[in-house]
Amino acid sequence: MKIKSLLIANRGEIAVRITETAKKLGIKTYGIKTAKEPNALYLRLVDDVIDFSQSFDEIPEFLDIERIIDAIRQCKADAVHPGYGFLAENPYFARRCEEEKIIFIGPPASAIYKMGNKTIAKQIAQKHNVPLLQGSQGNVKNPKEAADIAAKIGYPVILKAAAGGGGRGMRIVEKPSNMEKMFKMAANESEKAFNDSSLFIEKYVRNPKHIEFQIMGDRFGNYIHLGERECSIQRKHQKLIEESPSSALDEKLREEMGRASISIARAVNYNSAGTVEFLLDADRNFFFMEMNTRIQVEHPVTEMVSGIDLIEWQIRIADGQKLTIHQNDVKLSGWAIECRINAEDVQAGFSPNTGIIEKVSFPKGKNIRIDTGITDYSVITPYFDSMVAKLIVHAETRDKAILNMVLALKKVWIKGIKTTIPFCLAVMDHKKFKKGDFNTSFIEKEMDKLYYNEDNDEMLAAYVAAFDFAAELETDRTAKPDFERGKNISPWVLNKRLKSL
Amino acid sequence: MKLLKSTRKTEPEYIAVTPASKKYAIRNPFSEDLKINGHKQDIKIFEDEEGFTFIEYKNKKYLAEIIEKNQNKYTVLLNGLSYTFTIESPISYRRRKYLEKFKQTNKLEIVTAPMPGKILELLVEENTKVKEGEAIIILEAMKMQNEIIAVVAGKVRKIHVKAGDSVTKDEALMEIER
Repeated sequence: MKIKSLLIANRGEIAVRITETAKKLGIKTYGIKTAKEPNALYLRLVDDVIDFSQSFDEIPEFLDIERIIDAIRQCKADAVHPGYGFLAENPYFARRCEEEKIIFIGPPASAIYKMGNKTIAKQIAQKHNVPLLQGSQGNVKNPKEAADIAAKIGYPVILKAAAGGGGRGMRIVEKPSNMEKMFKMAANESEKAFNDSSLFIEKYVRNPKHIEFQIMGDRFGNYIHLGERECSIQRKHQKLIEESPSSALDEKLREEMGRASISIARAVNYNSAGTVEFLLDADRNFFFMEMNTRIQVEHPVTEMVSGIDLIEWQIRIADGQKLTIHQNDVKLSGWAIECRINAEDVQAGFSPNTGIIEKVSFPKGKNIRIDTGITDYSVITPYFDSMVAKLIVHAETRDKAILNMVLALKKVWIKGIKTTIPFCLAVMDHKKFKKGDFNTSFIEKEMDKLYYNEDNDEMLAAYVAAFDFAAELETDRTAKPDFERGKNISPWVLNKRLKSL
Repeated sequence: MKLLKSTRKTEPEYIAVTPASKKYAIRNPFSEDLKINGHKQDIKIFEDEEGFTFIEYKNKKYLAEIIEKNQNKYTVLLNGLSYTFTIESPISYRRRKYLEKFKQTNKLEIVTAPMPGKILELLVEENTKVKEGEAIIILEAMKMQNEIIAVVAGKVRKIHVKAGDSVTKDEALMEIER
């Protein structure tokens, strides 16, 4: 292997994940320390830390291309892994790496550029006979132009950031009167998120399934796909629960969509791991949406069913090695589900719940995988996204995987912040989800209650409060000094006292 | 595992009242003779070695944590969901009931920031009439634009923030008069 050391230009669970594979391959890792998260878990796991915490820049640390390039030059790392988000799909960063002779673990800059620009991406898909949704030929300049196109293709339509991804800079417009407001919001959001406010418009398919294909290519023109992932459980276009395979696909459709995915990758000389996203309508017609030219958050479900380490192959391919796995070698077995555990308050419209993790404990098991960037005393800051962990389970069948997920979710104990676990449980408990009968409007249309609880929960909580109140009253009544304080005291009272010190 | 118990001898009654005025009368919270709303219940509180606190009830374990406590106002997190109560004694409960009769509903609704973030845009001005459910402010937090929605219909009386301001959680943003 030419790559002896690599810098991880990312944080959180994906930095931890990359470190694990790098260690396995005997590669030295460098992590970036920021002032926003100076004690983050990933910094304890990397071999060496590059300190960005002392100087404050206008540009956020993980977006600062020149600073990261400088850091790589100084530590003399052979390669850089961008993870997901931040600079992962920034063609300029990939280009700068090429110029500086730094191995960028990902596809070539040209492929990132072509697929990152959704207008070009659609033209490529069209050229290769991959089905597409009707929409604007290129970007739309203003709400008026958008409204004209929408009138032609019919409402509802969706406005999307040309440079977008991850659900940001996207707005559905149901009727002409909403166009101006939605256009403004989408443009504003995409300017903020991607530094580019250009939008395009396309026909909006109601209630589709979100199906994506994991592909892998090397620099010698070898391509494989590793089956699909279904990511239909979304809220505001943010994926929350993913699985592989999808109950909506059969072998024939899988092969057809896999072939379409590979043809798009091949068209841009793609190499490394990539994901081709499709919408699947109720009649099982699929439409190309976009290609994500990076490792995805939900990659573990594919790893669980295929037994292939995707990060390892990203590194090997970047190293110039040949993809030795052929399509016939890809055997997908069983069912994997991933739940994203976010620091969000499901009882308050999923609002971010920042704070300190006082204590955390995850379930262990052969068919359970936890990808996380947190540990005891980790701080959840408002500076980064709210995901704190991914819980992935694997079983022979979908039913068993759901059951395992419920058991595992109940053993994720996090003290100090609220998380989306009650939401994940509610989905696992839902009749239609269990049957595989769901689409991207599931949360909106099918879930009466966004969290799972049992009849007696409120009563038990009332008891906890009354118990604590009574215990505290009791200690207050002790008028004399009590030198044995804390002996027969409720842990919460003790906790409260420690906090107020 | 350590079972949490109190040595208290006299056994009083406490009433936990939810914001929806549902009440749980809890008798003998520390003893085997625990009764909730008149029914005998067997609930145990445990603390494990790692510092988690659990409720054991009908052979099930529930993760519990008190996340907010202010005098007799409690927020308890149970299995990841929060529940808010006011704890009253039978006497203070009766007084509360009595006083509630005289309480007037507040005419001013104060809109607060649900999370820390930055005000991106104000969608209304002072003296604008708003409908319930109408978006009034766009707040950017955790890289997302969040619409803050008017929970009541009325007229915007005062705006405390402007676009570009950073706000903390629960900071007053505007006042709406019903």
